[in-house]
Amino acid sequence: MTAEETFHPGAWTAWLVAAALPALSTRNPLYLSLILVAVGITYIALGQRNPTARSWSAFVRVGAFFWLLTIPFSMLTSHHGTIVLFSLPRSWPIIGGAITLEALLYGLTGGLALVALLLVFAAFNVAVDQARLLRMTPGFIYQAGVVTSIAVAFVPQMVATWQAIREAQQVRGHKFRGIRDLLPLILPLLVTALERAMQLAESMEARGFGGQVLQATPRQRLAHQLALLDGLGLVGLGLAVNGFLPHFKVIGSIQLVCGLALMLWSFWDVGRRSKRTRYRRWPWGRMDRVVLVLGLLGAAAWGVILLMQPEWLHYYPYEPYSPWPTFNPIIGAVLLLLALPGVLLRPTVEESEVSAAT
Amino acid sequence: MITLSHVTYTYPDQARPALADFSVTIPQGEFVLVVGPSGAGKSTFLRSLNGLAPHFYGGRWAGSIEVGGRNPVDLAPRGMADLVGFVFQDPEAQFVVDTVEDELAFAMENFALPPATMRKRIEEVLDQMGIAELRQRRISTLSGGEKQRVAIAAVLALQPEILVLDEPTSQLDPQAAEDVLLALRQLNEDQGLTIVLSEHRLERVAQYADHMLYMPALGAAPVLDEPRKIMAQLPFVPPLVDLGRTLGWDPLPLTIKEGRPFARRLGPQLAARISGKTGEHSVAAGLPGGTGPETGGGALPAPVLSTRDLHYAYHGHRAVRGISLDIRQGEFVTLMGRNGSGKSTLLKAFVGLLKPDDGQVMVAGLDTRRVDVDAIIQHAGYVPQHPASLLFSETLAAELAFTRKSHGMPPDPEGDIALLARLGLAELRDRDPRDLSGGEQQRAALAAILVAEPQIIFLDEPTRGLDYMQKRSLVELLLGMKREGRTVVMATHDVELAAACADRVVLLGEGQIVVDGPAREVMSDSQVFASQINKLFRDPHYLVVTDVLDALGQA
Repeated sequence: MTAEETFHPGAWTAWLVAAALPALSTRNPLYLSLILVAVGITYIALGQRNPTARSWSAFVRVGAFFWLLTIPFSMLTSHHGTIVLFSLPRSWPIIGGAITLEALLYGLTGGLALVALLLVFAAFNVAVDQARLLRMTPGFIYQAGVVTSIAVAFVPQMVATWQAIREAQQVRGHKFRGIRDLLPLILPLLVTALERAMQLAESMEARGFGGQVLQATPRQRLAHQLALLDGLGLVGLGLAVNGFLPHFKVIGSIQLVCGLALMLWSFWDVGRRSKRTRYRRWPWGRMDRVVLVLGLLGAAAWGVILLMQPEWLHYYPYEPYSPWPTFNPIIGAVLLLLALPGVLLRPTVEESEVSAAT
Repeated sequence: MITLSHVTYTYPDQARPALADFSVTIPQGEFVLVVGPSGAGKSTFLRSLNGLAPHFYGGRWAGSIEVGGRNPVDLAPRGMADLVGFVFQDPEAQFVVDTVEDELAFAMENFALPPATMRKRIEEVLDQMGIAELRQRRISTLSGGEKQRVAIAAVLALQPEILVLDEPTSQLDPQAAEDVLLALRQLNEDQGLTIVLSEHRLERVAQYADHMLYMPALGAAPVLDEPRKIMAQLPFVPPLVDLGRTLGWDPLPLTIKEGRPFARRLGPQLAARISGKTGEHSVAAGLPGGTGPETGGGALPAPVLSTRDLHYAYHGHRAVRGISLDIRQGEFVTLMGRNGSGKSTLLKAFVGLLKPDDGQVMVAGLDTRRVDVDAIIQHAGYVPQHPASLLFSETLAAELAFTRKSHGMPPDPEGDIALLARLGLAELRDRDPRDLSGGEQQRAALAAILVAEPQIIFLDEPTRGLDYMQKRSLVELLLGMKREGRTVVMATHDVELAAACADRVVLLGEGQIVVDGPAREVMSDSQVFASQINKLFRDPHYLVVTDVLDALGQA
């Protein structure tokens, strides 16, 4: 796969927001089903371009599992609602009582929201190379980005090591009977992980990592440390005020915003002084721009609905609301926007196939 | 130009220095091979060239060092990175990000090079190392040889003048190692890069080096000289040099090509000996070293290990495809083949860690699909690739006691001591196994398995990182186990090791058996897996030095 065939991570991040927002903010089964349809179309289109897209089935299975779990859980524990399907003896703890249609619907829609969210991430996962996404981290949190990408590469290695250790000890007759028997497994893992980490650190140092930092004057350093500390304090205070003193929400929010701003400034200040460059920003292809615009449009539309007409999204099967969901065509149209990238994707593939054939 | 003068360096919490009054000068543009036994300070010397010692480890440093006009002690590794490129031993552990192209850019990003320059340099190093087709790949999907070439490319991107490599080929199969070394030679010749490289397997590298730096022991004065002169004084050398030294060949041959004229002169003498020895027997029957049961005549003993049409796949990757094999009591079988040809998988299937997807494995009369690993390990022992994955106890003695206990055997400290003594570990029995050197750890892991007295022993790459001396003691140990009538199955890349011990070689490719036969036949019929002595004489009678000496009546 060449670089031109993969997508710009930014474009699909916009799509992710546009798709995840509805899945998070409504439980209306009709809307959720529409999201599923849109995501499905997108996934199929992406899967045809990227044959390595095999994580989907795992996501679907996990989603189905949770869904099947939430339905009986809600039915057996709720007991509210007016439309009684059947009753269990009251003497049974927790699950005893009326089993209602409302509880069934509640579990069904709750699970559906979860499944929709999972599959949104699954489709995103197929569209975007995680390694690239990590490398999009803005300059001031570059270190955090590197740390995360190291962790991403490190974890599978450690899983493989864990496997090797387990096999080695198993063949030596080690049996797992209790906590004490963890020692022969954990100790070699720790030692190996430590050795690996040391070697990696050596390798990074030998390639000039963290090298070209301009020295800060003591005053500058003090300033950004103070800013970071004050910022943290303000954020904590703001959260506390908002949580415990609901009447002073405005003050709490101001504290939050100021705190975040201070922290951001201090990060930016550190980043500014570390001199580094980025290798090849990925080009924005035609399709990337389309996906970005659609994503932004969808997210914006949903934001407007969420702020102006939140009751459109409302769904709650219990009294005094109706268990039967409403449907607003405007929302339906907004959700179908999510499927458009998938619909538009297919001609691009055929085009490239044609050009490859000629 | 590299100059160290009177350098003494001690790692933190160590009593003895790793480098003591160490002085050496390496001119620009040289290809220098650093040799010496484990623990003589090779790695420390290499790490001083870019300041990793003392900066990364700490410790006490005295003396002066200058590398390409800079002082690594003052500048620290990050200040040396654009002058000295450093490649590490383990191809797995030195990568920071997970795709090839990003990995190549990593060092340049750290040096804040403009994106246009990075673009150009990445194209350059991709071509230099011949890895252009790998650019978009995930590093985890590369083979060992590819990984090492990517690691070299990643340091070349900063256009260093000096390339330092710490045993870069020790984990590679012979062909992959050859590819890496050829690429290095080319960098040295075409671009004048100074190359300083350490390696235990001299037979691979000696021919490429301009000079060798011999570090005889911890604290002893190093010797920098032409390879031929160094080779003449090393205690342990590759088989070709060993033969040349024993027979007094002058000039001492370092390559097969240099050795051939001597071998030709020896030819008639050897031919006479052999025909005299074997008499009316056919050549095949006259092959020496046929100590395996297959030449014993009469009824063959029943196989202790047999597989029928064995298949195994990891996540859709078919690692083993249709292997049928019979191994008899007392045989010494070596599995060879490229990295990823299915050797390790096969060993794991033998010991029951992996259950066959299809087909059957019978070990000591047990079907691995039907019984637990616990039942199999009463008869078979398995030593994994990394001894560190086995060792966890506080002392070596406790390590052995643990194996006994897990096997339901009574404690037997005297038996343990005897075993450790046989492995040359007697003095280390109260030491923490994790503090031992690589070679000692390897033997400690072996001890932890052998204490259960398995009749069949499976070894996965037992010579990683061992020097010649340690390897020789391992060979003796393995041959001793064979004499006791145990069956040994070993996966290895090490051609000379296989030549020294194996009765039978099974060559694997893509999870299938390519060749299976007596070691002499297989190893003399192969380009890649032939031993040095065999390449020299091109005759299945001669695999190792003693074959030739025996034939000459000199042993």
